[in-house]
Amino acid sequence: MHLKQSIIIAFCLTTILVAGWEIYWRSTGRTPSINDDKSLWAVERFKVSSATENDVIILGSSRAYFDIQIKTWENEIGKAPIQLASTGSSPLPTFHDIVENTKFKGTVLVGVTPGLLFSTTYPEAFPWARAQSKVDYYANRTYTQKLNHILSIPLQENLVLMSGDEEEWFDDIDLKSLLRSIQIGNRISGPKMPPFRNFGETSIPRNMRMMQKTIQDTAFANSIIRVWHFFGKTAPPPDKDSTMAFFLKDIETFKNRGGNLILVRCPSSGGLRMGENKGLPRKDFWDELISKAQVANYHFEDYPQFKKLICPEESHLSSKDADYFTKELARLLISDGIISKQP
Amino acid sequence: MLFNSLTFIVFLVIVLILYYSKWFNWTNKKRILLLASYIFYGFWNPPLVILLWISTLVDWTAGKQLAIEENQRRRKFWLITSMVVNLGFLAFFKYRDFLLDNFTTVINTAYGYGYHSEPMDIILPMGISFYTFQTMSYTIDMYQRKTERAKTFLDFALYVTFFPQLVAGPIVRAKDLITQFYKEKRATSKQFIWGLFLLTIGLFEKVVIADTLLSGTSDMVFGSNKLLHGLDAWIGTIAFSGQIFFDFAGYSTCAIGIALLLGIVLPDNFKYPYASLGFSDLWKRWHISLSSWLKDYLYIPLGGNRHGIVRMYVALMITMLLGGLWHGAAWTFIVWGGLHGTYLILERLQRQYFPFKITRWNGIFLAFITFSCVNITWVFFRARSFESAWSMIKSMFYLQTDGEKILDMFSIIKVSIVISIMFLCHWFMRNTSLKEVSLKISPYALGIIWALMTFLIIIAQGNSEQFIYFQF
Repeated sequence: MHLKQSIIIAFCLTTILVAGWEIYWRSTGRTPSINDDKSLWAVERFKVSSATENDVIILGSSRAYFDIQIKTWENEIGKAPIQLASTGSSPLPTFHDIVENTKFKGTVLVGVTPGLLFSTTYPEAFPWARAQSKVDYYANRTYTQKLNHILSIPLQENLVLMSGDEEEWFDDIDLKSLLRSIQIGNRISGPKMPPFRNFGETSIPRNMRMMQKTIQDTAFANSIIRVWHFFGKTAPPPDKDSTMAFFLKDIETFKNRGGNLILVRCPSSGGLRMGENKGLPRKDFWDELISKAQVANYHFEDYPQFKKLICPEESHLSSKDADYFTKELARLLISDGIISKQP
Repeated sequence: MLFNSLTFIVFLVIVLILYYSKWFNWTNKKRILLLASYIFYGFWNPPLVILLWISTLVDWTAGKQLAIEENQRRRKFWLITSMVVNLGFLAFFKYRDFLLDNFTTVINTAYGYGYHSEPMDIILPMGISFYTFQTMSYTIDMYQRKTERAKTFLDFALYVTFFPQLVAGPIVRAKDLITQFYKEKRATSKQFIWGLFLLTIGLFEKVVIADTLLSGTSDMVFGSNKLLHGLDAWIGTIAFSGQIFFDFAGYSTCAIGIALLLGIVLPDNFKYPYASLGFSDLWKRWHISLSSWLKDYLYIPLGGNRHGIVRMYVALMITMLLGGLWHGAAWTFIVWGGLHGTYLILERLQRQYFPFKITRWNGIFLAFITFSCVNITWVFFRARSFESAWSMIKSMFYLQTDGEKILDMFSIIKVSIVISIMFLCHWFMRNTSLKEVSLKISPYALGIIWALMTFLIIIAQGNSEQFIYFQF
């Protein structure tokens, strides 16, 4: 057995294959990006343990994640917020974690996406389980997991082939995702989810910006819109009573210890907004929540500067509009005395 | 620390640099290996290293006393002390909730009380079943005077803690491992490269086959609360069958490869088990180090085949039931063991009353029957409850005609191809070894296969999924 020959061949061929793979994906226009995973979330969550009353934590789903830009916020307020919003998730498990497992009594800004916040309190339901899995990951993460994350960042920043996401996008390029995209026949009955492609780019510190492609390529944006409409048609009815009761209890505890809560309804537009108005009318959900919570609140429809914003894929703001939204929101919060500008 | 993680790659490189550096003598190199093993374990949960220390100290002391003590009662005392400490750890950390839950159920049923046991939710130390069984084998062998006492505490501590096989085996006997620590070990260049090749194969089995190709289908089927179509139930079951093999055999292959990089030889833990001709053959091929442990320290002390047929069947069944319980604190695991015990008894009855010759023509058919029966047992092993296991069994045998289809056609084709290839590979490899096969193929072909496996591991990325057997 000539093992030395074999290892030399293996090394050379592996190098060629990996380099070819990287070059191929770069030639399709992809660039290296940070994976929006539990490890990245946990790094941000760790900041809460040393956060003071002057800090702001952002919770919510993808709208709070896309629409509130860290750098712009820092420029306006003077200090970067802790971004803990998660795509496709209810903010309730994360807020519960902050209330129950920390002594934080600064400001928590909760982005309210009615379809997710009022969806469920059932632990195994997707919007809940997804957020809870991040909370659990942070609580139980091992030293290996912490070190893995640190070691993987330089690779993610420099190699396209390292891009993979927990969202399991249709266009992810890890082997499992590539195989998942193969469809043969139509064996499973019932509605089929349209391909859900990645339309945001994550960076460190944890921040999400919409890809330019989503703004420039209407066909691409429409493919995302089809996914929202699919969710709208297939999602179970909201569980307003349970979610409201759960949230209000935590709000009460948080307020009682001196915490400052802000509810923000980020923009949505087009058919999605129409669907939201029909399925989760403002009067029955948002208005009822703010009347019971008695905290600072901002609905995009109440402010002329926000009303005009159009979401390219009906649910999230373009990076340019997200900067504008963040800047205006921060100014509103300061002028209303809800938060103060840091020196 | 997981083998399929970036942290482990860095860890292994540092360990190898220190191990092969000229700055340290053999004793210091062993100290480095011991420290590295504690770091390897502590990176998961540092306080639980204390359990390893207690186990090591108790069994070192027990072994020392057993080596010098002649008084039989005192010898028994030291053996029992070792057993109580090791099995006590297992009982407390692994079986506490299960035992308490069953105890309250029995009491409530018998006396009509309404007790509720409060689960303690104690963290299960990773690999506790492996290292306690390994260290117990030392004291039992010492008691039976089958092995020499470890020469130094360092050798013994390293035997208990040796990081490549610490958390998921192979469970190595003292005489096979401690003696290797007595003289300086250096891997030859052939051993080193072969070790790297085995590490690659192990990672390929785990990252590409188990996690990428099979786990999704198996998780979807066993995670479903629906009444499933028969095809879906079978595909989910064979996907798990492949997943658990590639996951566990992958770990063992990595462990053997990593040890070989250090010049240490570990025994094989799997020998193409899915081509077994019957169940006795299966247990000589699947998790060999556990089945031989159970045979030597449970089945034979229970009487083995020395006291007649009935006693032998009882011993066999008790061994398999406890073997099932070793895997997990749940009745589903006990049923899994019970099914294997039943298969073994039925096989012995068949040999006694309906013997037939196995030829090359009926062999593959027999192997397929064995594999199919093993798949049925995996349903109980994998299912979260008896209800879901029974629902799966009913679906598999088409007793549920209104079952729902949850798998797409590509998943069915993918799993069928992977499992068919696995079965055929096991069949054609059953009387040979990887090393023998690689001797026959050209170095170029081996290099190309190696490169393809490495490339697939890299593009699979993997999210450092934990090995299934770590929880046992």
